[in-house]
Amino acid sequence: MTSNLKIALIIMTFIYLFLILKKIRNKKLQISFSTFWIVSSILLIVAIAIPNLIEILTKKLGFEVPVNMLFCITIFVAFYLIFNLTVRLSKESQKNTLLIQEISLLKNRVMDLEEKVDGTK
Amino acid sequence: MKILLIIPAYNEQENIEKVCNNIKEYNEKNEQKLDYIVINDGSKDNTLKILQDNKFNHINLVHNLGIGGAVQTGYKYAYENNYDIAIQFDGDGQHDINYVKNICEPIINKQADMCIGTRYLDKTSSEFQSTFMRRLGKNIISFMIKICCKTRITDPTSGFRAANKNIIEIFAKDYPTEYPEPESTVQVLAKKYAVKEIPVSMNEREGGTSSINIWKSIDYMFKVSLAIIIDSVNLKKKGDVRK
Repeated sequence: MTSNLKIALIIMTFIYLFLILKKIRNKKLQISFSTFWIVSSILLIVAIAIPNLIEILTKKLGFEVPVNMLFCITIFVAFYLIFNLTVRLSKESQKNTLLIQEISLLKNRVMDLEEKVDGTK
Repeated sequence: MKILLIIPAYNEQENIEKVCNNIKEYNEKNEQKLDYIVINDGSKDNTLKILQDNKFNHINLVHNLGIGGAVQTGYKYAYENNYDIAIQFDGDGQHDINYVKNICEPIINKQADMCIGTRYLDKTSSEFQSTFMRRLGKNIISFMIKICCKTRITDPTSGFRAANKNIIEIFAKDYPTEYPEPESTVQVLAKKYAVKEIPVSMNEREGGTSSINIWKSIDYMFKVSLAIIIDSVNLKKKGDVRK
């Protein structure tokens, strides 16, 4: 990797990290969701900054070329992330169902009560 | 004996008025009165307006939930208002009000906790004709339930069913909203409650359309089978069965 490319990549990763932190500050991303993104950006910076880290890891883990390892890891992480999201989504939709039901039941009760009150007046 | 009819309705402007008036008519003729609650599942047509104009007893879901979520709302209503029996009754005029007596009977006599109105027990009594695919699907689901719960349920997708107080409580707290009919049957069976089937005849749909295509059916069968297996294993493990 040329040093120019390295610097460019590191700057881009810092922008990425900055954007994540900005989103957290503006309350657009919950802290509990943010760990993954912050850790991933820090790992990216480390991987770019330390020379030969990727090459050494590739050899240690037994991959033929670094690209293979990177793709493999990214796909695994992406799968895990998507799976996690579907789990969260299911939970949210269950909560949603419960809320819709309870609100609707309450509305029905309020209407009944209003009618009764109107009747006694 | 307090009996509630739970009527889920989604875009049923053609039928809902008739269904409710049938119940009123029935109440005038019979001693055992039937209360009803229409659950308007976020209909996009005039269903809500009809319900309001005629002052039919109804709950308006603030957002569409699907049949399972709508029916569970009814069970919650039945639970909160302390009903003895809750009956699921379709809003599209498929179910005949005169059979309500029949499916309540085993529950009143304490022969069963849940009673399903079945279309196929007696072929001569049913004018309801169904397609080959539908019957095949029903047989597969029925077979799955037999393997998992060791009970034969001929019509596990029938939406015409009565439940006693225990079952109302179970459904109010935990009702499978994705594939409600077969899954709730498994839920009840796995907890060792008694389920009985009573032959009923059903009318043809008087309006509205049923949406079925081959891929949807295959997808549906796969998911229902999975749901039945998981439910039966899950519930047996939990061990909160009937004393």
